[in-house]
Amino acid sequence: MDFVCNFPFFSILLSLFSGTICSILPGRAAKVVNRIVIAAVGVMSGILLVYLLGTGESFVYWMGHFPAPWGNEIRAGVLEAGMALFFCIIMYLSMAGGAHKLFDEVEESKHNLYYILINLLLSSLLALVYTNDMFTAYVFVEINTISACGLIMIRQVGRTIEAAVRYMIMSLLGSGLLLFGLCIMYDLTGHLLMSNIKESVSVLIQTGEYQIPLIVSVALMCVGLCIKSALFPFHAWLPDAYGYSTVSSAAILSSLVSKGYIFLLIKIIYRVIGFDIFNNTRIIDVLFVFGLMGMIFGSLSAIKENDIRRMIAFSSVAQIGYIYMGFGMGTQAGMVASIFHILSHAATKSLLFIAAIGLTEVSGGSRKFIDLTGAGYRNKWAGVAFTAGSLSMVGVPLFSGFISKLLFAQAAVQVEGKMLAALIVLGISTVLNAIYFMKTVIRIYAVTGDTSYPCITFKDMKVHAVVLVLFVIVNILLGVSSQPVVNMIEQGLAMFA
Amino acid sequence: MYLILLPILFPILAGVCLLVCRKDLSRKLLTVTTGTCLVITGALAITALTRVKQDFTLFYLTRTLPVYFHIDQISILFSLLTVIVFLCAGFFSFAYMKHEQKEKRYYGYYLMAFGVLNGLCFAGNLITFYLFFELLTLSSFPLVLHTGSKEAIMAGLKYLFYSLCGAYASLFGIYFLCQNCDTLTFTAGGVLQVSAASKDGSFFLFLAFMMILGFGVKAGMFPMHAWLPTAHPAAPAPASATLSAVIVKAGVLALIRVIYYIFGADFIRGTWVQTTWLALALVTVFMGSMLAYREPVLKKRLAYSTVSQLSYILFGLAVMNEEAFTGSLLHVLAHGFIKGTLFLTAGAIIYTTGKTKVDELRGIGKEMPLTMWCYTIVSLGLIGIPPTGGFVSKWYLAIGGLAGDIGIFRYLGPAILLVSALLTAGYLLPLTIRGFFPGTDYDYQTLQKREPCPLMTIPILFMTILSVLIGLFPTVIVDTLTDFVSTLI
Repeated sequence: MDFVCNFPFFSILLSLFSGTICSILPGRAAKVVNRIVIAAVGVMSGILLVYLLGTGESFVYWMGHFPAPWGNEIRAGVLEAGMALFFCIIMYLSMAGGAHKLFDEVEESKHNLYYILINLLLSSLLALVYTNDMFTAYVFVEINTISACGLIMIRQVGRTIEAAVRYMIMSLLGSGLLLFGLCIMYDLTGHLLMSNIKESVSVLIQTGEYQIPLIVSVALMCVGLCIKSALFPFHAWLPDAYGYSTVSSAAILSSLVSKGYIFLLIKIIYRVIGFDIFNNTRIIDVLFVFGLMGMIFGSLSAIKENDIRRMIAFSSVAQIGYIYMGFGMGTQAGMVASIFHILSHAATKSLLFIAAIGLTEVSGGSRKFIDLTGAGYRNKWAGVAFTAGSLSMVGVPLFSGFISKLLFAQAAVQVEGKMLAALIVLGISTVLNAIYFMKTVIRIYAVTGDTSYPCITFKDMKVHAVVLVLFVIVNILLGVSSQPVVNMIEQGLAMFA
Repeated sequence: MYLILLPILFPILAGVCLLVCRKDLSRKLLTVTTGTCLVITGALAITALTRVKQDFTLFYLTRTLPVYFHIDQISILFSLLTVIVFLCAGFFSFAYMKHEQKEKRYYGYYLMAFGVLNGLCFAGNLITFYLFFELLTLSSFPLVLHTGSKEAIMAGLKYLFYSLCGAYASLFGIYFLCQNCDTLTFTAGGVLQVSAASKDGSFFLFLAFMMILGFGVKAGMFPMHAWLPTAHPAAPAPASATLSAVIVKAGVLALIRVIYYIFGADFIRGTWVQTTWLALALVTVFMGSMLAYREPVLKKRLAYSTVSQLSYILFGLAVMNEEAFTGSLLHVLAHGFIKGTLFLTAGAIIYTTGKTKVDELRGIGKEMPLTMWCYTIVSLGLIGIPPTGGFVSKWYLAIGGLAGDIGIFRYLGPAILLVSALLTAGYLLPLTIRGFFPGTDYDYQTLQKREPCPLMTIPILFMTILSVLIGLFPTVIVDTLTDFVSTLI
């Protein structure tokens, strides 16, 4: 086994331990450690990705050299490594983009706590991506929940505490359901490792035994993860959680944390249940319907919203709906489109959050649209970046959003019964997206006579501006050269089987 | 073959530079820079039109969808129109924009729209076309809401949403075409697979209809025409001139590309799609004229007139025979120059007198004789009186309509065109009449010559002359068109 194969294990362990180390460091040092860890994990994932593309097959890593079915396993393929790399990039940019705001948002004595939580979050995300063991997945789901809660609550204003409590309750409900499903599955199959469960499940399906408990278990796991990733109608916790937490937290929560759960669901679909078996259940139809509803109702709520951060948060509900709609199509193409949308949405949503903070800063900290009038002139970089993000969300060609919509539509065309519903809702949702994002763009570029707010130039926001530019570049790269990414996703899904 | 990219990228980049440039340029420097950029772009576009013979693939958006450019006769026709109108209106705006704010922003988006339109003309496949179609909406709507008044912003939003909805209706069709065409490259006669056309014929007809409606939004076709009379008066006059003369023609170009180059005329001919399209076009022709006739505000009246005249073109496209198609193309040119001139004269009038309603403009012909003479000449052209441009195009349209195999529309079509021509006279000529013959109670003592500066009159004059030249020497254009029109039909 090559040395590179240790990298997933190193990544998880490194971020887990750096969390512990951060607890004894002062805030500034913790920040440095945090950045270095994210960068190091990113580099390792990148090397791993190159290695896997070279060998062309996935590998299983035995933790502590205990063979299956006793030992704990890590598994890495192209998709896992790519996801980890992408998560690191987005996380690094989000942290860098929100760093200057942290001093306003969080007491200085708590800064190292903040970085502990970020490190823990990273480790749990990596574990969700790499693990080959259902119970490990469950453990890290919980770690993820706790650290996410902390990230929401660390900005101590009344609204965030309420949001965190709400998030905690919904999330624990989700993990509880996941645990139920897991228990039933363990009961049925006697295994916790994904590959072993899959073998047993296919045997069960062939013999026709325990069909109902099996479906119940799959359904429970799905519902659990849907709640945690804020699929409509389980999205009530989301607007407050994303809307009032610190800006980096909001960007990370919306673009990474919910995506971590979705990625786990993809792994469960492919590696635990089996893609074909999952598609033969009625569950995909339910996911499809709720995905479509999310696309519409999320956008409708966003239109009604008068607060820019909450509007962006509601737009996440719609985008999560897209992803589940792709699952609901039950085809390989739909899955590819969903995974591409995970990437595209992560890149765009974090861009929007980071750009929105730049706009609110020059509007006296207010997030109401009325105060944001003309903010695009006061902070040009944030204005342009927000416009680029909006265009991507609306699905204008050359941005990543267009490609994901194209992929969804091409996938929908191949599915007989769901084609029309998917395309019509895709259309309505595009128009709704256009309504609220373009409304905002026009608002920030409206001419105002009010000159009481300061203007910001590049000198005052070097890091922020660079981060925004990088985000836009990531977006355009995904939009212009999507084919390599799509190839990689297809290759990764093939490795899942 | 990067030459083909220059007229697209250069103005877009120049526009972006103008927009991001933080320094407040002096007005003189700004106009000189913009003027130079406009002229260079025009030169580049014409160089590309004459020199580029090859196709050019820039990159692949996805495995099967390249961004691909190609120049054919249609591109040449639309591109020439674009270049001429943009140059004329551009020079006109150097004088006109004096009394508007934020000139730099205006010129920035103006240049960008220019580049995007060139891209639209050169686009060689449907996906590239769609890309520039979206970009066109985005780069032109800042022109609409330029003044920043609440009314203008609402007009801009209306324009944006109509266009986006239309573009999505078309995208809906593109999704299916991706699956059922061997290629999306524009090919005379269509690229739809024979097997798909015969198996799901009625479904593809429905798609074609969706795309006609969708792209028809840009061309102001009933029932999605409402944005046009709102957006045009809100924009500054030179911007409305380009909107009316060129940008709405993007919808026409789109329909030519989709119907004749993707679906193929044979697939549509004789179906309910053709019938409905003809009906919609004729309804729009008549309704637009009626609304224009009743409208007191000059610019709004001209906008309704655009609605009506564009559907002349669409009618010609929908008839689907050679004469009507030739008529449509001629009317694209004629209407482009005429409506450009009309909006510029309206702009000149607003600039010098500040009046917007037709009734207030008594005696305007005495104050601004040159401008009003141009107005009158092109008005006659739009009505269709020989020897101006409008006559020839309407002649071909009527001949084509009569010769077409289109049932009742064979007679109904030319009849409505005639009635609408009368209405055109009814809404355009009152200004001339009042302008030159203000009546006996008109106070000639207060009359003063208020002819605008040459920067305004020369573009107006130039386009007027062009519109007359088309009418005098139509054979030059018709001869070059004949060969390739026959390949399309």
